[in-house]
Amino acid sequence: MRQAGLTAWKTVEWLLLAAVGLIFVFPFLWMFLTAFKTMPEVYQFPPTWWPESWQFQNFEIAWSSGPFLTYVWNSFLVAAGILVLQLLTGVPAAYAFARYRFRGREALFGLTLIALMIPAQVIFLPVYVEMSHWGLVNTLWALILPYGASAFGIFLLRQSFMQVPDEVIEAARLDNASEWKIMWTIMVPMAKPVLVTFGLFSFIYHWNDYFWPLIMTNSNEVRTLPIGISMLKAAEGGKLWNVIMAGNMILVLPILAIFFFAQRHIISAFVYQSK
Amino acid sequence: MRKAAAAHEMTASGHALGRTEATKARLNLFETIRPYLYVTPALAFFGVFFFFPIAYVIYLSFHDWSLLNLDEIEWVGLANFTALFEDADFRQVLGTTLIYTLSTVALGIGIAFFLALWLNRKAKIFGLVQAAVFSPHIISLVSVAMLWMWLMDPQYGLLNALLEFIGLPGYTWLSDTKSALLSLIIVSVWKGVGYNTLVFIAGLQSIPRDIYEAASLDRSPWWRTLTRITIPMLSPTLFFLLVINTISSFQVFDTIYIMTQGGPVNSTNMLVFYIYEQGMDFYNGGIASAASVILLGIVGLLTLLHFRVMEKRVHYR
Amino acid sequence: MAKVVLKQVTKEFNGQQVVKGLDLVIPDGSFTVLVGPSGCGKSTTLRMIAGLEQATGGEILIGEQPVNDLPPGKRDVAMVFQNYALYPTMSVYDNISYGLRNRGYSKKECQVLVEEIAEVVGLAPYLKRKPSQLSGGQRQRVALARAMVKKPQVFLMDEPLSNLDAKLRNQMRVELTSLHKQLGSTFIYVTHDQVEAMTMGDQIVVMNEGQIMQVAAPMDLYQEPDNLFVAQFIGSPAMNIVPAAEREDQVWGFRPEKALLRHAGVSSVGHADAMDMHGHIVSREILGSDTLYHVETDKGRVVVKTDTESLLDAGSAVHVTVPLSSIYVFDRATGKRIARAENGVRQQILAGGVV
Repeated sequence: MRQAGLTAWKTVEWLLLAAVGLIFVFPFLWMFLTAFKTMPEVYQFPPTWWPESWQFQNFEIAWSSGPFLTYVWNSFLVAAGILVLQLLTGVPAAYAFARYRFRGREALFGLTLIALMIPAQVIFLPVYVEMSHWGLVNTLWALILPYGASAFGIFLLRQSFMQVPDEVIEAARLDNASEWKIMWTIMVPMAKPVLVTFGLFSFIYHWNDYFWPLIMTNSNEVRTLPIGISMLKAAEGGKLWNVIMAGNMILVLPILAIFFFAQRHIISAFVYQSK
Repeated sequence: MRKAAAAHEMTASGHALGRTEATKARLNLFETIRPYLYVTPALAFFGVFFFFPIAYVIYLSFHDWSLLNLDEIEWVGLANFTALFEDADFRQVLGTTLIYTLSTVALGIGIAFFLALWLNRKAKIFGLVQAAVFSPHIISLVSVAMLWMWLMDPQYGLLNALLEFIGLPGYTWLSDTKSALLSLIIVSVWKGVGYNTLVFIAGLQSIPRDIYEAASLDRSPWWRTLTRITIPMLSPTLFFLLVINTISSFQVFDTIYIMTQGGPVNSTNMLVFYIYEQGMDFYNGGIASAASVILLGIVGLLTLLHFRVMEKRVHYR
Repeated sequence: MAKVVLKQVTKEFNGQQVVKGLDLVIPDGSFTVLVGPSGCGKSTTLRMIAGLEQATGGEILIGEQPVNDLPPGKRDVAMVFQNYALYPTMSVYDNISYGLRNRGYSKKECQVLVEEIAEVVGLAPYLKRKPSQLSGGQRQRVALARAMVKKPQVFLMDEPLSNLDAKLRNQMRVELTSLHKQLGSTFIYVTHDQVEAMTMGDQIVVMNEGQIMQVAAPMDLYQEPDNLFVAQFIGSPAMNIVPAAEREDQVWGFRPEKALLRHAGVSSVGHADAMDMHGHIVSREILGSDTLYHVETDKGRVVVKTDTESLLDAGSAVHVTVPLSSIYVFDRATGKRIARAENGVRQQILAGGVV
């Protein structure tokens, strides 16, 4: 009796798990399926599940509807450039916050924490004015420079640097290593897991970012992929869902692929903020 | 002769001593400023692209200006703020933002809490479902917005097809003033609930197991364990999520811009979208910066509250 | 190879003196052990010699050269840390060669030196491994090799064996001693373990509360302690201290193995040449070859160490007899030893009489 009740509950739970999983995964599947359908099939009601014939040219149409190679390249340049800059500024700052005692340390670290909390949407207008004063609007610099230092990165690296035992640093000092050298050859390699975590977080965040490029760019040479994809809709009048979904897959697939291979890292990267 | 040599030696060594003193002083100075050198690049970026803009936007909010001609800027005092609060449209925008924020936060955290209690288990399938629930969080809002526009298409969308399949009438979704805001809320909750769930799970896993073992030895019923142990122990996590979710809900922009453009009939026009339109499309720089300052005030208050509570620690640990 | 001299060296932390005006000469080529209870300033002293802490006052010389203002990397010293402090992300080879590279050796020179040293300490097969893939003993060897390869004038070691298990620790003690003989350079070794100090050092510096209590060779330290602190710190179990007969301002000490324990039933005759105490055995520890008795006597609790033949039971009434020649006399107020034991006690007996 009890055994049967348990199995029944197990079945119900499995069904529930499947349902919850589907609510979050099926929309992506639907994106994928739509991307391969013909136009008439898209506008069929009730819709078909499986494409009647697989239309690979939807991707070609999407790709050739704008300078997508430029968009992808820009997106990559921006995300990678931001990451490099954030590491160059973040590693020394985190090292100083973690390892030195100096006047004003708490206050300066407090400023960093404030920067962690307040999002870009609050101050995009004055930054835009700054950028136009410097003539940087509609350049990749306007997309990269405002994110040149990451409060989150400094915070993460600082935690990681604080865990390095003093003796290891002292051993390096006895080995005649300069502080700068200790930072890059001892501390940074030891913080590798955190660096990977932060790198994934930063890259994904800026690869996906829509708001900032929308504000700062107005020509195709400097637009990034999310902007290009969103213009697909405008260009096609919001009707060619198969082409639009095909375009979106270009944006989504790399991220889903990374997620597939580095799930643990990504989840800890995003969830780490809570600690 | 010998005396002279000795004197010579003395000056030489005195000289050498003086030099080492100087190098020593220089070295000490360098060691003192070293930490500042290390934090300067990062703080310079924060200064130029974060703290200065905060001051600048406050300055701008007391002026009449537009992006069309940045040289023409005129002091108007509080005029922008009075204009904003007298404007029924802006009051509506604030109201809509508030409704959106409250519903998104309540739903996003509430659903996540139950999902977390349920999914916090070791078996592989639970990990898989956790990953599935989380996956929308790392996808660009652009794609999420466009995908849901397609799902919510009133004529050919999958959602209405499913409704019809179970015998319900199709829904108007984004095309009606009554349902557009709700649609945006649904999209936001769908995207964000996975993050909240995983943060809750991390919080649950940090509760020491022996507390539960002690409770079960005391024959505590499950609901009392939940209300007396789990929820109090989760309070720091819960508070963190409340603040983070509230701040990010106030920033809603991408979905509005792509899915509704604030419509229909302004029913989904919210704060950041309003600032964007005023500043970038209507060239009302003053109004836009005054609205930015109001947003800054809201976010700043939340941040302050967060730091205060973090200091006191809503903890039982 | 160099001698190390400390002149009036002090160290303050937050206004608190942890090292108080240390004067110490560490002879060239010696194996000097700094020993004392935790918090006595021995590690701080070592770290000041290394340059990891700045001396608040005084002067430190390594081979005639004042080093107070030299950074650690320029002092020609090497240090082995308690928890090895290996660079976890580098291979064994890189761990050993890191210091050489920072001193401007070419890759070729490094390779020759590293391979040579790896051969000496038996690490040759493990050069490509990471520290996490090594056993505790092997990590210890890497730490040693990393120090040795720089051929420093002075080796500094901060409790380097305390993380090893007992068997390995004994083995490493022997190896370190022979290594010292082989290299002939100056070793300064910090430990809280007096057994380690006694077995390894040729000069032992006993420290307490930031001050040097005594500097001496191991056997001198044991046989001729300068004061109560050294007398009780060196030797295990510790020296027994009892009130001196007739003199309020003095105390007597004797080592547990110098006392004779007899059953109270056996008639005892007072001895002019011995101190006699009555009491009963509180507890007994059998250590194998020796037995320790804790005896509650009319002069307080004492420990007596005997061989294991003819055991006495706990609770038995006993006599404890200590030959006067084995008694040390200390000033109660200062803790200083007053005179050579025999004479001091004799005179006292003549003066006041114990019997």
